[in-house]
Amino acid sequence: MNTTTCDAGHRSELNDRTAPPSMRSRPTYASLSPDMAGREHLLVIEADALQPGQASALSNSFTAIAGALRTVVSGSDLPVPGASVQPDLAATLLAVKARLSGATMQQRVYAIGSEPFIWSIHTAAIEAGLDERQIRLCHSGSLKRRVWCTHCHDTTENVTTNIVACAGCGRHLLVRDHFSRRLGAFMGVQIDAEVPGEVPTTEEVFP
Amino acid sequence: MTIAFKPDETYRGDYTYRNSDAAILRFPFPFPEDSYMYSVNIEPHVRGGFTPVYDNPIDVDEHYIAECRDKAITLERDPGRYAALPHMMTAQWDALEMLMECLSTDYPALFSLHKDGDHWTWINRPLGLEQSFTFGKEETLPCEPFEYITRQVQGDFALLDQRNGTLYLDAGMVTSQADWSLQFDVGMDFMEWHGPVPLAHQAGVFERALKFLLMLRQGQPMRRLNWTMTVNPRLDTSPETYPEWGPDRTQLTLDNIGRKLHLRVELQTLWRLPRSNAILFPLRCYLASLDELVRVPKWGRRLHRVLSTLPRELAEYKGMVRFLPTALEYLSAHDDGAPTRSGCAAEISTL
Amino acid sequence: MTGDQLKLRVAAIQDIAPTLRLVRFENADAGPLPPSATGAHLQVVLQAPDKQIRNAYSLISKPGSRDVYEIIVRRVPASRGGSAYIHEQLKTGDLLTTSWPGNLFAPQRSARKHIMIAGGIGITPFLSYVADFANKGIDYELHLCCREEEKDSFAPWLPEPDKVFMHWDADGHRLDIPALLLRQPANTHLYVCGPDFLTDDVLEAAEAGGWPDNHVHCERFGSALSGGEAFRAVLQRSGKQIEVGEHESLLEAIEREGVEVPCLCRGGACGVCLTSVLDGEPQHRDHYLSKTERASGKHIMPCVSRARGGGLLVLDL
Repeated sequence: MNTTTCDAGHRSELNDRTAPPSMRSRPTYASLSPDMAGREHLLVIEADALQPGQASALSNSFTAIAGALRTVVSGSDLPVPGASVQPDLAATLLAVKARLSGATMQQRVYAIGSEPFIWSIHTAAIEAGLDERQIRLCHSGSLKRRVWCTHCHDTTENVTTNIVACAGCGRHLLVRDHFSRRLGAFMGVQIDAEVPGEVPTTEEVFP
Repeated sequence: MTIAFKPDETYRGDYTYRNSDAAILRFPFPFPEDSYMYSVNIEPHVRGGFTPVYDNPIDVDEHYIAECRDKAITLERDPGRYAALPHMMTAQWDALEMLMECLSTDYPALFSLHKDGDHWTWINRPLGLEQSFTFGKEETLPCEPFEYITRQVQGDFALLDQRNGTLYLDAGMVTSQADWSLQFDVGMDFMEWHGPVPLAHQAGVFERALKFLLMLRQGQPMRRLNWTMTVNPRLDTSPETYPEWGPDRTQLTLDNIGRKLHLRVELQTLWRLPRSNAILFPLRCYLASLDELVRVPKWGRRLHRVLSTLPRELAEYKGMVRFLPTALEYLSAHDDGAPTRSGCAAEISTL
Repeated sequence: MTGDQLKLRVAAIQDIAPTLRLVRFENADAGPLPPSATGAHLQVVLQAPDKQIRNAYSLISKPGSRDVYEIIVRRVPASRGGSAYIHEQLKTGDLLTTSWPGNLFAPQRSARKHIMIAGGIGITPFLSYVADFANKGIDYELHLCCREEEKDSFAPWLPEPDKVFMHWDADGHRLDIPALLLRQPANTHLYVCGPDFLTDDVLEAAEAGGWPDNHVHCERFGSALSGGEAFRAVLQRSGKQIEVGEHESLLEAIEREGVEVPCLCRGGACGVCLTSVLDGEPQHRDHYLSKTERASGKHIMPCVSRARGGGLLVLDL
């Protein structure tokens, strides 16, 4: 048999990739809309990250698939009909995992909130077997970052400054733009390793 | 071929690592021209070239025993320098077979591989190891197959899984890296893990390199040289241990820089693996001090000229800003302005 | 572990069905062969009396095999010579030149489950898949659409018959592709190999069924892509003008004139034979160039693509 091969779709994506100005590991986001090719949809919302009125606008944009949509709200309650409300991220992740056990190829997941939040949902979806193309993320609210310490491998949450003391080892870490989707975190490297004690002024850069 | 190993030299503490004259002459000097150019500089990894380092697909040199010991120390301190995602097991066995066959074929006095169907026996004489195992059965080896074999070969190793029209860094043995973290980067795609490299993205270098690598063929490995500079002959310059070696960068003076500052050349080769269709990516590190390099007159002149034309962004990325002026001052004494011939070859046969 | 060409000897020939011939090769040189792989193919050079034929055939040997390579070749009525040569002229002991195994259809190792849909002889790449998956305990389903009388021809290569489903053109036996695709767990990968109508049906059903396109993989029959209206091409650097016949590809015509073009898949997928077009309008049939690249008309994949409307092409060769 004489044959030829293709992976449906990926060639054009490869060819059309062009370099954006920021670091290539740094994610970019679009606003959320339902993927009409899906049959089962899960929307996960970080309540505190939304502006007033944003929740109902979000509900409206998902009307077309409302019959196949489940919604999980994390934190406080929101005016989203039929949503399951979870008190915090840990409870939200349990709810998401339960919802995604037995997910099919037709499942879609959407998450909106701060970067640490949406990437936690992303990790849960990937662990449930979903592909990146079955997941849509939208960053909203604070620019705060999760920072992974290169030296002790611990993570520091809710970082809003360019330099932060590591929650694990206490070193002063420079927060870099290099981002790991798997960890949902930015890389932190000791700022004064070459000359101990030489730490520049800390500034709030991720409010 | 006889290799006079230097089993007691060290890559940490008292740093007794040195190159013999023969090792200096075979150094894979990476600059073919007098000014700095970024290029993909990728070529078929065939036997032979300007340096004897290219004589065999996997090079074993006088530092073999000491380097394997240093790797074991680094792994003992931080087992996270080895990582493999579960779907890479087929690629792990591919890599083990490839490396064992290369070593036993090209260095029969040092390594032997006996096969009786799937029952294999591996003998590593320099490290004094003998291991019988069943190919394809993980439980017959003391650790995972990729870890087992890469503990016994100089350099770092990555396994790249090919899917979604890109390559994923899904396994690695990384103990002599130029400042990148396997624990952070494992699982990343090609563009992500090259994210921090300046200039090259804008030039489209990675897009072209990736398109090329996706078509890499079994039996036709490729190679390229990469470089940076390291203070002291230290293999473990990971971000993890940056607080240990970062201060060394402030210790350089015109008096000690020739002895302490090392050109660190990475011979990167890329091999398509058969069963898994993954790519094996060995990154072999060669270190030579400025004092050693300037004994080859062409290399002394060339290094001075290349470092004089290095773009600022690259000097920053390679962590060289602090000591670059001192290095240039040292090297200027070895550059008489005489013309040099294009190409990397030493052009002398004794020192 | 390096090289690009192999010298193989035909060790055995066996007809497993009236139109299906199994050919077993062994190394004519000393030592073991490079390991064969799941989904890999071999490009075989056949020396017919009047011309050289290069065809790519899926390796059906057990993955990792280093003692023999096996292929199965169907006799195609409209053969361009390859299948007719293998069925009529090839004999045990013959020596052939082949490429090293190449792989453009490897399974996705990170998948939770694999579903393979084959049309007829399109089963051949999947014979190495099922050997590999059965050996490792990986979850899969193989669906073969074929003529009813051929459904048992491949039984010797199917280690787990309970995971193989036969379909043929009769009520109650046809494959319901959309239904199959609707009940699959996340991280299933779908592979199809067969005639274009089957491949197109599967790709369409997968898209309609919400499958991300990177979970769908196809290997097309190259013969359906080559051939077409005859045309003329000028090889500018070589100073040659060639006639491309109705039943040959542009690449084959170029090779016939002794001009070397690097190539790999010979099916418009890999991009290795990319050639610059200096003048003329290509009719693109490849899967490699992007829309923009196609529209620019500056490059062509000569293994499958031709000149639009039988016009003249001037190539940088």
